[in-house]
Amino acid sequence: MQFKLPELGEGVHEGELVKWKVKAGEQVKYDQSLCEIMTDKATVEIPSAFQGKVAELHVKEGDVVHVGQLMLSFEGAAAAAASAGGSQAQAPAPAAHGAPAASKSAASAPVAAKPSGNGQLAGAHAPAGASAHPAALDSNPATRVLAAPSTRRAAREMGVDLTSVQGSGPHGRVMREDLGRSGGGGSAPAAARAPSTAQRPALPQGGEERVAFRGLRKKIAEKMRQSKDHAAHFTYVEECDISNLVALRSQAKEMGAKQNIKVTYLPFIMKAMVAALKQYPILNSSLDEEKQEIVYKHYFNIALSVQTDDGLMAPVIKGVEHKSILELAQDIQAVVERARNKKLTMDDLTGGTITLTNAGTIGGLFATPVINYPEVAILGFNKIFRKPVVKKVDGKETIAIADWTYFSLSLDHRVVDGAIGAEFMNLFIQYIENPALLVMA
Amino acid sequence: MANTSQQADVVVLGAGPAGYVSAIRLAQLGKKVTVVERGDIGGVCLNVGCIPSKALIYAGTMFEKLSHAKDIGIEVSGAKVNMPKLIEWKGTVVKKLTGGVSGLLKANGCAVIAGEAKFTGPKTLEVKGKDGTVNLSFSQCVIATGSRPAKLPGFDVDQKRILDSTGALSQTEIPKTMLCIGGGYIGLELGTFYAKIGTEVTVVEAGPGLLGGVDPDLSKVVQKRLEKMGVKLKIGVGVKGQKANGKKTEVTFADGSSASYDVVLVTIGRTPNSDGLQLEKAGLKPDSKGFLTVDAQRRTSVPHIYAIGDIAGQPLLAHKGSKEGIVAAEAIAGQKTTFDVVAMPAVIFTDPEIATVGLTEAEARAKGIDVKVGLFPMVANGRALSVNEPDGFVKMIGDGKTGRLLGVHIVGAEASNLISEAALALELGAMVEDLALTVHPHPTLPETLMEAAEATLGHAIHIFQRKAHGSAGAGASARV
Repeated sequence: MQFKLPELGEGVHEGELVKWKVKAGEQVKYDQSLCEIMTDKATVEIPSAFQGKVAELHVKEGDVVHVGQLMLSFEGAAAAAASAGGSQAQAPAPAAHGAPAASKSAASAPVAAKPSGNGQLAGAHAPAGASAHPAALDSNPATRVLAAPSTRRAAREMGVDLTSVQGSGPHGRVMREDLGRSGGGGSAPAAARAPSTAQRPALPQGGEERVAFRGLRKKIAEKMRQSKDHAAHFTYVEECDISNLVALRSQAKEMGAKQNIKVTYLPFIMKAMVAALKQYPILNSSLDEEKQEIVYKHYFNIALSVQTDDGLMAPVIKGVEHKSILELAQDIQAVVERARNKKLTMDDLTGGTITLTNAGTIGGLFATPVINYPEVAILGFNKIFRKPVVKKVDGKETIAIADWTYFSLSLDHRVVDGAIGAEFMNLFIQYIENPALLVMA
Repeated sequence: MANTSQQADVVVLGAGPAGYVSAIRLAQLGKKVTVVERGDIGGVCLNVGCIPSKALIYAGTMFEKLSHAKDIGIEVSGAKVNMPKLIEWKGTVVKKLTGGVSGLLKANGCAVIAGEAKFTGPKTLEVKGKDGTVNLSFSQCVIATGSRPAKLPGFDVDQKRILDSTGALSQTEIPKTMLCIGGGYIGLELGTFYAKIGTEVTVVEAGPGLLGGVDPDLSKVVQKRLEKMGVKLKIGVGVKGQKANGKKTEVTFADGSSASYDVVLVTIGRTPNSDGLQLEKAGLKPDSKGFLTVDAQRRTSVPHIYAIGDIAGQPLLAHKGSKEGIVAAEAIAGQKTTFDVVAMPAVIFTDPEIATVGLTEAEARAKGIDVKVGLFPMVANGRALSVNEPDGFVKMIGDGKTGRLLGVHIVGAEASNLISEAALALELGAMVEDLALTVHPHPTLPETLMEAAEATLGHAIHIFQRKAHGSAGAGASARV
């Protein structure tokens, strides 16, 4: 019997086979992950719609495959799925688990639909966007996850598997607020890793190793090339005294820790960015080359560069202007966790208006970040270090120790001129040096 | 005969409670919708099912209450049933509702074509109506063609001597004698109505008991009432055949006996309306019983075709179809939706009414759950007594380990109006204790739910439970 590539999502017709997760001769269970397919929107795992032994793989890793193309042949039965369709098993919709930086599409992430447990055909035909996890759809009131219908609906929309959420309510009831905390996804099988720039084990002495250039690595390459080909990059760097923010953040950190929220500098920086962007909206725009229009965004969705084992990703924190520091910290914590666990949804990866990259945790004085195209600005947050500075105390100049840092701002000069960028930076730094002003922003 | 072509985003086949709900939700979600209906808007439910039968049952109950009014000090003389007038009134109820649905479809911009649809391809239909043939092309289709009364070989329905449920709703004379073949909910609802207006009713059921699938504790209460009403019950007996005997019909039973009846009502189940649609042209094949197999979003094996309501399988309930209609519409609109229902309540308008939701005691035990049962009799409820309806009880099923509510089963007055609280509780994942701790206003029938919850926990107030805070014994002692 044959297994063909199922629908991958709305408007997606092909993808690159990044990795086979089964091999010829292997026994495969229903719903087991067969392979990873990288589309121009996300990397998806294709679950098996059959149970049986893999006879032959018909495509190679690195091949571009089309929806409906023969992927593998197998011996056994198409589980539940193949009722009327004859011998051709179709897989449930794949689960999106990661994608490179921003995509233009706002298409929702396809999430795996699994058998409902009601004895009915489930998930056989790529229900785009239905999260029908068996336990969540368990019709047995004794064993199903305790959650109100509205919470269940929200979980579906967020792509959260309820069975993986720790409920904070009475009797372990999953509350609406628990969904955000869970960071989506859940108990995914540890996925095999694609080639990446992550640390590799020590190579044998001498010789070379050739690794296929594909998957997320290739996607990053395309995005970076596209950015450099289109945007007219220039980078502006300014230094600042971040002592006040260091003090504020250390207080916030304690407060957050009581609620299990890790408060980093990023929420404050995001808030300062929004405050300054409101004065310099051109930095929160994009250039629509096709229509020859500059698109000003009246919302502030800040993409955040996250280094994962597979490579760089840029999930988006949405509606930054509406969120408190603690809410932002919570969102950032969740999204970073999702990125590292390959659980990002299409929603996480789309809709950014500007990007924040944080290289400071590793080191370096400052970087010249590459714009997350088609955005027009990216702000680099670099390391914080202590250094002696000249300060005026009671009108007298004196040497003091300050927490110091550099911010680098790469801009697309086609849209944003240097002077505007510099003015934005000045205002932004004013907020960073005097974070108390953020309450006025 | 005109022959025209039309195009729609979504075609909904059938304007019953599944189809019209789906059509309206699709229109709300911005789809261009065409509804095809071969009969009347509203389907079986509004025209020849739920609604007209409830109108008749209401009338029958009122007549019966008048006949017993002297027990509570009201003397009525000369009460009689004017059958043509009753059927006419029933018609006005139906008309009001179907007119309302037509208006809603129109207001939402749904086009309606009257005619019989057949698939001519995966994305095309041919609709034959009075005014000609319409060739309809669509991007997506929702099949909601419902079901019809199942046929019993040898008992051809003529709606005069041999009736199905449709015919039983339009009789203009009160038959002296009636045989109901099939002791399921349709047969018992209609049989009870006729018994109340004076017909001598016999119910024959081939299975081991009335109302198969319902907790026998509940059906027993209904059976007792039927017997008290003078309905003859032949349980575990099949029918062999029939022949005309003058104006009457002589029916022979599997036990060798035979008897003649003015009318014979056949209610042995329902058959899905999947034949005649040329489903094979769309690439669809119903199962051996004629139902279409669907996924959690009610999508068939052909991804752009959905099936909802009776044609999508058990349970054949209007509200199940409506829910599926909404799920399918949302799926078509690309929303992340799924048929995520814990509690699918069912109501039966027998006397007294039965309403159930969630696991039965037997189902819960079969799952190996540490089952706690609480019973609270209607006779211990002030309101039930003061409306002269002391029969029945509420039976609550809880999980002894986790305290979760698993099921509620009610037999008694207004059971149909009591069950929604239990459905909400189950859907929200309530503990049995949550029901017990919720203040219920006095004097009302819903207090029985609170008390049944208390009984499940072993400490009902208005019945004596020997084993307070007890475990397995609580339910049993509540039965005393």
